Amino acid sequence: MDFYLTALLQGLCLSAIALGVYLSMKIFNIPDITTDGSYTLGGVVTATMLTHHQSLWITIPAVLVIGGIAGAATGLIHTKLKINALLAGILVMTALYSVNLTILGRSNVPLLNTASIFSLLNITSDSNQNSLVILLIIVILLVTMIGYLLKTDFGIAMRATGDSEQMIRAMGVNTDRMKITGLALANALTALSGFMMTQFQGFADINMGIGIVITGLGSVIIAETLINWFRITSVVWSLLMVIGGAVVFQLVLAVTLSIGIDANLLKLVTAVFVLLIVSLPRLSFRRQHV
Amino acid sequence: MKQIFKLAPLLFVLGLAACKQNAPKGVPVVGFVDAFEDATISQARVGFTDALKQNGFSEDKKTVEIKYSNAEGSIPTLTQIVNQFVSNKVDLLATCTTLASVTASQKTKTIPVFMMVSPTLERAHLIPADGKAPTNLFGAVEDLQYIDTSFALIPKILKPKSGKLVVGMIYNQSEPQSADALARIQSLAKGLNVTIVALPVNSSADAQLVTQSLLSKNIDAFFANPDNTVFASFETILKSCNEKNVPIFTSEAGLVQRGAVAAFGADIYQWGFQAGLQAAQYLKTHSTAGLKLEMVKIRKRVYNPAVAAKYHLTIPPNFQAVK
Repeated sequence: MDFYLTALLQGLCLSAIALGVYLSMKIFNIPDITTDGSYTLGGVVTATMLTHHQSLWITIPAVLVIGGIAGAATGLIHTKLKINALLAGILVMTALYSVNLTILGRSNVPLLNTASIFSLLNITSDSNQNSLVILLIIVILLVTMIGYLLKTDFGIAMRATGDSEQMIRAMGVNTDRMKITGLALANALTALSGFMMTQFQGFADINMGIGIVITGLGSVIIAETLINWFRITSVVWSLLMVIGGAVVFQLVLAVTLSIGIDANLLKLVTAVFVLLIVSLPRLSFRRQHV
Repeated sequence: MKQIFKLAPLLFVLGLAACKQNAPKGVPVVGFVDAFEDATISQARVGFTDALKQNGFSEDKKTVEIKYSNAEGSIPTLTQIVNQFVSNKVDLLATCTTLASVTASQKTKTIPVFMMVSPTLERAHLIPADGKAPTNLFGAVEDLQYIDTSFALIPKILKPKSGKLVVGMIYNQSEPQSADALARIQSLAKGLNVTIVALPVNSSADAQLVTQSLLSKNIDAFFANPDNTVFASFETILKSCNEKNVPIFTSEAGLVQRGAVAAFGADIYQWGFQAGLQAAQYLKTHSTAGLKLEMVKIRKRVYNPAVAAKYHLTIPPNFQAVK
């Protein structure tokens, strides 16, 4: 059971990415590819600052701000230079590779005896259970803050930008600013995931972000399935479902590993499991009235 | 209530996990972690398994269970694999390539980790500031000394087209050992009166373009620094170099088999075998007494006769021809 706990922890570490991708999907209706770069950026900033004996309380805001800058860069390229959002993300992600390598100095930095969020509290003697409590606190904070933000006038305008840009612009909202802010927020969250994952796995690596947007996207799609299935309208519940999606995505991988299938089939079986989960509503026993 | 029923299939999928086959009691379990898929690197696993077999731990005879997982290049998967082995309390971990070794050393301080195809702890930055290295790390590792001998081969075998020998290299910025090797070679080249032209490459997809660009710089030889990118894209590099009649030198025997001229370096199979011998000793005695991280012992001087003949190169007599 311990193994499933570690998979749950990994899912919670990646839940901030899922929230970030969820936001960018809401604003753009397409995923923001910057994610791959800003996740690694969060990781390398964390590793660099912690190995230089900076405190966690300086590292966290630094990670959030730097991730936000990366997202804002994508937003600026997209809105001011009128470049396709997907390409803007790809460009920033590509550029971030060099930035990350420069910050980290080498391609892989292990964290040894550094400060860690997972050692902040000592409630139980089991380090995994401690980590769970800490991650749950972080997730509750994130959901509360983002849930509140999305309910404000600003948040409603931001969500509406994705639904109907022309309408919201006609109402006098500056949609460009909405997109830039939204992307900055999404990538600050993504970088926060990099911050948590780096400490969870014990090292930062230049390749840690490769394909991570797929993880975020998979989590969001699982969440969307659940949201439609349970007919959820509340914002907070939607966010919780997104986090649930991230956890399920990691648990599926854990199940696949547990079954002990041939290593070459790992990805195929993981994909089949995710397919099963997202197609469950379609396989319900009632006749669909679509 | 209806909502609960909706969740039933999901629980069923997760419930499948409970159907695990456990090894019979008393049989030691080895967790073998590979970071990615590669034809040359996978020989380490064969060597490791053979070493266990020679010492009476064979999967066929049910005297050992080797659980094999490959992260297929994904770091989150790699972390989960190591977590799974650690929480299942395997008797020992076997890790192949740097990233797998780093992940394992960060995730357990108690289960012995037998590393292979990995750099020394200093080079992997796994030694903390107080100098106390983790006590559960064993296996076979490598520093950069061997590159000196490998690289010194080139001026011995090859004559420059004009004045000074120019050697081209591609290196991967995303691998610690690759960047380290380049720095070492650049310092060596000064003493050997060789000019190095190095270009960075970040993925095997870029290898062809970067190799072509190197070849346009009028190089006498290509030095294949054995990192993961070169392993993955060696055939592309070989094809481009063959078209321009530029011989390839390297420091890994497997690449000589695939078409490089000559090498002095570790043999990946033997590397895994050496780590496997240590693992077998641990399984016999259940103690790590007398075990320590070793340097790779077997290095070969090998050459490829067909390629040497093509370029009319004379190879020193102490080199073995690869089959």
